Amino acid sequence: MRLADLGVRNVMRSRLRAIMTVFGVAVAILAFIMLRTVLSAWTVAAEVAAKDRIVTRHKVSFIMPLPAKYYGEVSQIDGVKETCSMNWFGAKDAAHPDEFFGTIAADADACLKVYDELLITPAEHEAWKQNRSGAVVGDALAKKLGWKVGDRVTLTGSIYPGEFPFQISAIYTATRKSVDRSTFYFHYEYMNEWAKTNMPTAADQVGWIASRVQPGKRAADIAKAIDQHFDSGDIQTLSQDERSFNTSFLGMLSAVLTALDLVSIVILVIMMLILGNTIAMGVRERTQEYGVLRAIGFLPKHLALFVLGEAATIGLLGGIVGVAISYPIVELGIGRFLEENMGAFFPFFRIPPLVMVMALGLALLLGLLAAIIPAYQATKLNVIASLRKVG
Amino acid sequence: MSESEAQSKPQIIELRKLTKTYYRGSEAVEVLRGLDLDIEEGAFEALMGPSGSGKSTLLNLIAGLDSPTSGQLLVAGADLGKLNDTQRTKWRAQNVGFVFQTFNLMPVLTAAENVALPLLLTNLPAAERKKRAETALSVVGLGDRMHHYPRELSGGQEQRVTIARAIVTDPRIIVADEPTGDLDRDSAEEILNLLGRLNTEFNKTIIMVTHDPAAAERATVIRRLNKGVLA
Repeated sequence: MRLADLGVRNVMRSRLRAIMTVFGVAVAILAFIMLRTVLSAWTVAAEVAAKDRIVTRHKVSFIMPLPAKYYGEVSQIDGVKETCSMNWFGAKDAAHPDEFFGTIAADADACLKVYDELLITPAEHEAWKQNRSGAVVGDALAKKLGWKVGDRVTLTGSIYPGEFPFQISAIYTATRKSVDRSTFYFHYEYMNEWAKTNMPTAADQVGWIASRVQPGKRAADIAKAIDQHFDSGDIQTLSQDERSFNTSFLGMLSAVLTALDLVSIVILVIMMLILGNTIAMGVRERTQEYGVLRAIGFLPKHLALFVLGEAATIGLLGGIVGVAISYPIVELGIGRFLEENMGAFFPFFRIPPLVMVMALGLALLLGLLAAIIPAYQATKLNVIASLRKVG
Repeated sequence: MSESEAQSKPQIIELRKLTKTYYRGSEAVEVLRGLDLDIEEGAFEALMGPSGSGKSTLLNLIAGLDSPTSGQLLVAGADLGKLNDTQRTKWRAQNVGFVFQTFNLMPVLTAAENVALPLLLTNLPAAERKKRAETALSVVGLGDRMHHYPRELSGGQEQRVTIARAIVTDPRIIVADEPTGDLDRDSAEEILNLLGRLNTEFNKTIIMVTHDPAAAERATVIRRLNKGVLA
């Protein structure tokens, strides 16, 4: 037995209390990990954004459209390699009215060049291009709604009010897990033709333009060139590299993200207070023992070591249990469910390894912080007064 | 003890004009009033007296748990009045073994681990600490209870573990504060016999505070305190 062992052994003095405290810490760590995973899942798109991809939108707001002619003009700007226009369509499958998924009208020819992380076979791509009402859907969405290639689907538009029949031309997968696999892509022309007839004010407009820059060119320079090109036009643009664009999109959720951030911290503070209370109770109950230890030669620093060791052990145990239970809950349960059912929001809902390491480190650190006051009290123990309790 | 040692017994405890005053708010309470006392090494002395007479305070001072208000307090070669708390703590670890009325063993440690506790403060290797703890437990007759936890021991056995813990560092002085107070008559007898053995066979100086005249009779010297002075 060593000095440090004593603190560890003390953990199991009051077995039920220790188990409950470890469980409490574990639940707090689980909540922390889940909140951090939500934050991570939301920001992953910004983090993994392509460095050579630019998104051009209306300078005033993301929700305001650009003239369709801008699409062609952007592709002519020096340094731009590929360009694709995109419109947020906003529609639901009448057969699954409660299911939300992204619906985007895009240039079928160009969008798979700009977004080369979306994978379909050349034959499927050709089939899509040939089919005016063809659509390409993510495999997660297809799995959830039971769609197969060749199926006919009718979507009900909300921004473009009407019934839109489609045929699934291909089901895309992705080169990496962080890509949204729950989006429904279809031909821009299909939507625009409908708009010209039924909603002329919305015709010949694009939501945003995505571009890939030529190798060796800096995305920031090309973005600046695009904006300068439209500076004298009726509608000015704001071009950003994809990371900035995704970040500005997240900016709309900044209050929610900040709240989640704060809540995750509050949870840890609550955990620290619970742990601190448990440790303080233990120190109070062991006043006599600490008095005896001081009498037989232990110094105040030794008592502090025992208290801190006990708190660190409980914190670390709680952290380990929290990480251990959060892994199957998120990776095998909630994560899969969210990816399959809310892929548009959470294309990749998995615990980042860094969050697990952070959770363990914080459990240990906060355990130690929680024990600072009880440890200080133990060091200030009056030996005679505590021994008086003995006899 | 050899004959030559018996002939030249040095003083292990020397008290000169020792006072101890506590303050209850602004009111001074003089607990010990100018005590002079000499105790020889190897003595077995009992301190008796009514509650509030100052016997526990005197025991605490001799054991280095407290410092005097004035006077000289020489114990085992150290002028305890001049040592700070850390120095007194280290001195206690080397020179004093404690036996309390309630045994206060660590419930999460076995008997052998409880006994080895004071040795954690030394530089002895683990194997040596274990060996010494086993030896101390054998001395108190608990060689067969080394791996038992306190909850698995009787009150008398627990007190014997406490005594083993008190002697494991081979201190020169053992202070015992009502060591039989929580024990039945038979167990108390065992403990007093054990303390007697430690005194006679191992030449430990034993200072015992007790209310029990029968226990005090086992000491070679009985001193009585009354209102802070030795009667």
